[in-house]
Amino acid sequence: MNWKKSLKVAIIVCLALVIAAIPLLGSACAGGGSKVKVGFSICYTGVAAEKGRPMGNAKLDCIKYINEELGGVAGYEIEVIWRDNEYDAAKAATIINELINSECLLFTTNSSKMMMASAETANRAEFPGFAVFSSPVLTNPPQHIYAQMPDYGDDWAAFAKYYLDNIWKGTGKPKMALHLLNNPTGSGARDAANALADELGIDIVADEEHTPTTISEIESLTRIKAESPDILYISSTPQPTSIIVKNAVELGMYPGMTIACGHASFTSVLVELAGADAEDVYGVYPTVNWGDNVSAMAKMTEYCQKYHPDDYGNMDYITSWAEGLIVAEILRLAIENVGVDNLTPQAVEEYGFKKLNNFDVGGLHGPVSYTPGDNRLSKSVRVFKVQNGEIVPITGWVEAPLIPYEFD
Amino acid sequence: MDELLQFVITGITVGMVYALIALGFVLIWKSSGVANLALGQLVLISSWFTYGMLVQAGLPLWLGFPLVILFALALGWIVERFVLRPLIAQPILSLITVTLGIAFFIEGAVSFIWPKSVAALPRFFPQETIHIGTAVVSQEYLWAAAISLALFGLLSLFFKYHKMGIAMRATADDQMAVQACGVPVTKIFSWSWMFACALAAIGGILMSSIGGITFGLVETGLKAFSVVILGGLDSFLGAIIAGPIIGLAENLGGGYLTPLTWSGVKEVIPFIIIIIVMFLKPYGLFGEVRIERI
Amino acid sequence: MDLPTGTRNYTYGQDMAIFRTKTHWVLLLALLIILFTAPLYWGNYWLGVANLIGITIIAATGLNILTGYCGQLSIGHAGFIAVGAYTSAVLTNRLELPFLVGLIAAGLIAGLIGTIFGIPSLRVKGFYLAITTIAAQFIIIWVINHWTNVTGGFNGISVPPASIGGITFISQTSQFYLIMIIVVLVIFLAKNLARMRPGRAFVAVRDNDLAAEVMGINLFRYKLLAFFVGCSLAGIAGSLLAHWIGFMNAENFTLMDSILYIGMIIIGGLGTVTGPIFGVIFIRMLQQGITFIAPVLEQTFALPAGFTTGIGPMVFGLAIVLFLILEPRGLAHRWQLFKASYRLWPFSY
Repeated sequence: MNWKKSLKVAIIVCLALVIAAIPLLGSACAGGGSKVKVGFSICYTGVAAEKGRPMGNAKLDCIKYINEELGGVAGYEIEVIWRDNEYDAAKAATIINELINSECLLFTTNSSKMMMASAETANRAEFPGFAVFSSPVLTNPPQHIYAQMPDYGDDWAAFAKYYLDNIWKGTGKPKMALHLLNNPTGSGARDAANALADELGIDIVADEEHTPTTISEIESLTRIKAESPDILYISSTPQPTSIIVKNAVELGMYPGMTIACGHASFTSVLVELAGADAEDVYGVYPTVNWGDNVSAMAKMTEYCQKYHPDDYGNMDYITSWAEGLIVAEILRLAIENVGVDNLTPQAVEEYGFKKLNNFDVGGLHGPVSYTPGDNRLSKSVRVFKVQNGEIVPITGWVEAPLIPYEFD
Repeated sequence: MDELLQFVITGITVGMVYALIALGFVLIWKSSGVANLALGQLVLISSWFTYGMLVQAGLPLWLGFPLVILFALALGWIVERFVLRPLIAQPILSLITVTLGIAFFIEGAVSFIWPKSVAALPRFFPQETIHIGTAVVSQEYLWAAAISLALFGLLSLFFKYHKMGIAMRATADDQMAVQACGVPVTKIFSWSWMFACALAAIGGILMSSIGGITFGLVETGLKAFSVVILGGLDSFLGAIIAGPIIGLAENLGGGYLTPLTWSGVKEVIPFIIIIIVMFLKPYGLFGEVRIERI
Repeated sequence: MDLPTGTRNYTYGQDMAIFRTKTHWVLLLALLIILFTAPLYWGNYWLGVANLIGITIIAATGLNILTGYCGQLSIGHAGFIAVGAYTSAVLTNRLELPFLVGLIAAGLIAGLIGTIFGIPSLRVKGFYLAITTIAAQFIIIWVINHWTNVTGGFNGISVPPASIGGITFISQTSQFYLIMIIVVLVIFLAKNLARMRPGRAFVAVRDNDLAAEVMGINLFRYKLLAFFVGCSLAGIAGSLLAHWIGFMNAENFTLMDSILYIGMIIIGGLGTVTGPIFGVIFIRMLQQGITFIAPVLEQTFALPAGFTTGIGPMVFGLAIVLFLILEPRGLAHRWQLFKASYRLWPFSY
């Protein structure tokens, strides 16, 4: 019986050693000696993977381009630590901790929800980052989180201004009906409308909500029809937007009034799903289109075709290629101002983020600047229209005004 | 008054679509006593397969549809044979959970094979809307309602008169007695699952032609649960009647309550109905009340 | 429980003891020591993972009491966790009450709401109850999303860090201690609940509630008690989750999460105290593994584009199905078999 006892002791000691060894394995993963490290929290899998994957591909391709062809940023190679957050808040929270721990200088996320899950930890640790797709609550009040592109509230504000200046021909206030998705995409537009509609001179006569999986909005549109609005603004994703447009045509409301969409739904999928009913629908979008003649288009197309040919034509690829360029620019400014040996996340924020001034992002979207009190890096969108089944731009860069949100 | 007519018509037609999916659920419950919580996902994968056949492979309608039905039959057979057969005598918790596991698996498989998250099917129904009084309803919904009614009729007749249908009902009642009579119980399970998947496929085709293929089909599957609960788990008649009731409740409730309370009330109405039914009449309008003995 | 040969019980206390022999006590102490000194050598990332596992264990233990011990199938657990999380968030953020008040209130309110939604369990069971809990989850999430004045609606609500007395729990290490202490207490509670009268009543209700009623067990009281305990543990877990992430949004609590919890307790083993621990660790480590490996695999082997998205749910679904078919009593049962065979070796056939 004695050897059994010593066996027990041996097992316990082994277990203890194994458990102690796990963290050593863990820390081995985080190694790497470059001085310029960035962290990406990407939704490669999960419900948002359809946007997350092309975006992840694009930013990694862009950093690869910068490291290989441009020799890194100011001569230093950018080391990327990226993790898949599976569009899950708990996962995002563990990832942000890992990124802070691995001495990254800044981080980015694709989606506003992932950024919201990471923002608290990042703000407490004064770790700067930006969200490609953002939402007003992340940047108000402004802390260490920035927004790469205009959010859904900005879409509304930009289009509202455009509508008032160019389309509204009547007198008095136009009547606007909102049809919003039941998540921050929709509520972003609602918050902007609540904050700015009176000032711009628009009367919001209806505020309807729908789910991302709706199959019929006849009921809510019937209510809207009773108010006879002049313009219907939809802030949603392509599938419910197509249902609303189709139902509006069935009810005879459209053509007749103006229909406009936020950028989350204004993609080729909308035209595919709604067909001929989507003719003459307006929309806003914050980036250029594939094939437009801008300086970054050639290299981006080359890398996309070479490494991820399936993503060609996907607008999110453009957005994230721009994201890569912005990351490089922030780092370049920081190195230029403080030198590579003094790089800390706080320094990168102070001398990188806050020193951005009219960086043109290769023309891929509006110019990127930082203005104190406004954490949105790019505030412009372009207005598009569906003509003959194609999405055609009809304006240049329209800047969205700063919206006086009241969040606590 | 116009609004009321519009709400009523929309409610009934949308409800018939829910009823179609509910029929599949009732079928499995009636013949094997298993609650199929993977219903929404089965609808989803059949719709995606339709997309694969019609759009990706470009097959014509008359060839694509039968292939989809065959696929659904095959899927039902596989699920029954490899997942449910080993669990034949297990308590109901295991059966329900295994359907949950299948649901998870199918969602993953769909993302795996068809990475796009939305897709559109080509249109099969004519596009013009029909006017009833001042209300409009699109033809797709009317076709869906008509097909649901036709299937309901077929299923009821099948279960009442056809040999296999009677065998299925007997198996749901008492498996051992049926086996003692010499009826191959496993074959009956196979057939019931295959039929149910075929029903789900038809429901999926109809729904995706109306609204495109998205993960929302799963949520509509959840609303079909409320139809099933209201109508009674083992009654086809219950499903057909409860479907329009839920649709009406959604649209009328949404239509008249939304201006008074919050927007978005419409989504939660089916679930509140489930809770109310549970408190008042748990077995539904037409369901059989189970009497339990120790 | 199985005891080594030669151990005899001479008193009732010895018979009922959880830790009977000296070896048990030594192992327990060793485990506790290893656990509580972990922060000394684990990096921040693994501490974060451990925190998440701890929180999940608390919620899973609650679900285990409800479903495993009492047999009331509940597929709406994520909803009750959400209730706890939001209660704590609202109390600490908007009303600026201390963290402990938020924690306890979260537990109580989640338990209360669980009890309300559990009332149908008196009339229905099995599948009907499952659907009721699914409906409950949807209603809870809908209310959270639309009660904008209180919960911040879709935008969510930020949560200040937990603090007791003067200690603020910001770093992973401090939260690790907080969470682990609560985990140990909860498991101790669950084990004792199972040994006492309520636990025995629960098991009787699970096995045959009509017979239990005939024997004098008040179904009304015990079913609702199961809901209350199970959901208040979920509420406590939710509160800790809210303070750990720092930001609360209803999108974190989906139906798929509820299904995953059921999967965790089934894989771990229903109706045992160690079951949820095994199940949670298994699933969470699997999740971490997939997070690391899947993108690497996809890129090196040129797999189709949907691989990383699809492989996660596929693996979990497959795991649930396989465990149910092959080992329906879960990992805890395997662990018992292992212990028994170790004890009886070389005669462990």
